[in-house]
Amino acid sequence: MATTRTSNEMQVPARTTSRRGFAWHRLIEGATPYLLIAPLIFLISVFVYWPLFYSTYLSFFDWNFVRPDKAFVGWDNYTRLLDDPRFARALHGTWIYFVALIPIQVFLPLGLAMLLWPIRRAKSQASYRIMLFSPTVIAWSVGAVMWLWIFNPLQGLLNKLLAEFGVERINWLSDRDTAIWTVIVVAAWKTLGFHLILYLAALEAVPHDYVEAAALDGANNWQIMWTIRFPLITPTFFFVLVTTVISVNEDVFGAINVLTQGGPFGSTTNIVYYLYEQGFQYFQIGAASAVSVILFLATVLLTWVQFRFVERHVHYG
Amino acid sequence: MASMVTAPQSTSSRRSRRTGRVLIHVVVIVICFLTIFPFFWMLSTAFKPPEEVFTKDIRLIPNNPILSNFPDAFQYFPVAQWFGNSLGIAVLTTLGKLVISVPAAFAFARLNFRFDKFFFAMVLATMIVPGVIPIVPNYILVSDLGWINTWWGVVIPSLPATAFFVFLLRQNILQLPQDLLDAARLDGAGTMKLLLHIVLPNIRPAIAVVMILAFLGAWNQYLWPLLILNDFDSKTLAVGMQFFSSNTESAQLWGPMMATATIATLPPLIIYALAQKQIISTFVTSGIKG
Repeated sequence: MATTRTSNEMQVPARTTSRRGFAWHRLIEGATPYLLIAPLIFLISVFVYWPLFYSTYLSFFDWNFVRPDKAFVGWDNYTRLLDDPRFARALHGTWIYFVALIPIQVFLPLGLAMLLWPIRRAKSQASYRIMLFSPTVIAWSVGAVMWLWIFNPLQGLLNKLLAEFGVERINWLSDRDTAIWTVIVVAAWKTLGFHLILYLAALEAVPHDYVEAAALDGANNWQIMWTIRFPLITPTFFFVLVTTVISVNEDVFGAINVLTQGGPFGSTTNIVYYLYEQGFQYFQIGAASAVSVILFLATVLLTWVQFRFVERHVHYG
Repeated sequence: MASMVTAPQSTSSRRSRRTGRVLIHVVVIVICFLTIFPFFWMLSTAFKPPEEVFTKDIRLIPNNPILSNFPDAFQYFPVAQWFGNSLGIAVLTTLGKLVISVPAAFAFARLNFRFDKFFFAMVLATMIVPGVIPIVPNYILVSDLGWINTWWGVVIPSLPATAFFVFLLRQNILQLPQDLLDAARLDGAGTMKLLLHIVLPNIRPAIAVVMILAFLGAWNQYLWPLLILNDFDSKTLAVGMQFFSSNTESAQLWGPMMATATIATLPPLIIYALAQKQIISTFVTSGIKG
């Protein structure tokens, strides 16, 4: 990625004039690149990199935003997390979201893409794509509000529909067994179209020669899909996997906060929601910072693991 | 797919293939229906009078559609302010991201300077830092600056989440013909002139892509404005919406709530309706960053 530059390097023509303003001109031209990147570098330093250090620092202190002094407490914030049942529930929730949503967000759209592929020349294909993609462009919180109305126990559509079949009212949002699935449904609905479109674009980019050669060798459509097309779209598959793992905890935050506020009994809380609660509802800055440090390290570790163990199965065409 | 292969097909296999395709269409249509149904249900409720919202049967389309849920929503909650805040924040964030990304992308693509690779790596590495990680220190900073409840408090800390745009713009600038830039250089154009008069006009499509993605991202953002915008009037639509459901009298407010949801989804859906193909391909571009 970073190697494509050399051949395009700007040749600054040597100047042979000896005018007096010359040195100034050189100085300004020499400083220009730094001036061009300065605003961006400044902002990422202040709002991304500095907070990484400052969070780590804060995670060793007891503080509540308001008190003028911060009390140094060593590893207490970390050890206290281990004793906090709410944190255990948040980790459990995080795990459920992971186990449910990684397959749903990574494999379900892949299956749908393979389903859509044989009918890609159908006239209705464009309309299918437009409809399936529409949840991608709206906010998570607003999408969750639409589903809040569907899941509403008293007047919601889902229970009205089930009542037609004689099913008793289910408290989707306040039942410990079902609440987390409402968030998972919203997340599946919200991400399906985007990942589907990525897979379809990748399928379209598979060179036709390979497919033709396999077909001449007598492979059927199913074999072509699995032995030719799928290996060639593994870079997209890997991309979807890595970005889903990085963003899944954060993506569902809006849906959790709208649908269940982490409840009932913390059953829909995940690590990001726990961080939000500690930091901005209980004002436990030290605990919130410790969680953000743990989440950052876990994200880096998970990303590394995927590059180390999954990426070697990826064929970069 | 098999039709590209020249082997003759028997009529029976052709018929079974046609049945297969019909089946696929049926399955896909069901999934499409499930996908757009929440939108449909939102619209339907937004135009229902209260007595039709609370019917025992399922009423897909209101018998007596009304418009009053919209003015009602504006009356219950400061929806007009929220809309203005969403719009102002989205526009400022979009412009801000462009102003910091384009020059940096140009420098990384075409200028040779010390530590350029280091700075570029520093920009790209921000992509693996989840946005939630820096919220505590950033909240402290924004609060020290007195930016709580202001647009700036939302906009400025969101600007650095622009690594992908820098990457995308840089790829586009790299593809510009070298002759174009050399010719301008020989005419004595300085670096700034090169950027403003040669590069900028030639990467308009990429800038449009960045603007669409940045606008949608800013319009839809939730967690950060939730923290920063505490005053009732200062909220954005994405954040303010849920007051309808946490309100104690909310039992009656589903109509106005869905009207507000309609207003909140309208700008993204209008942009989407105007340019579906471009938007879909824009998102595809955003997905091929690996």
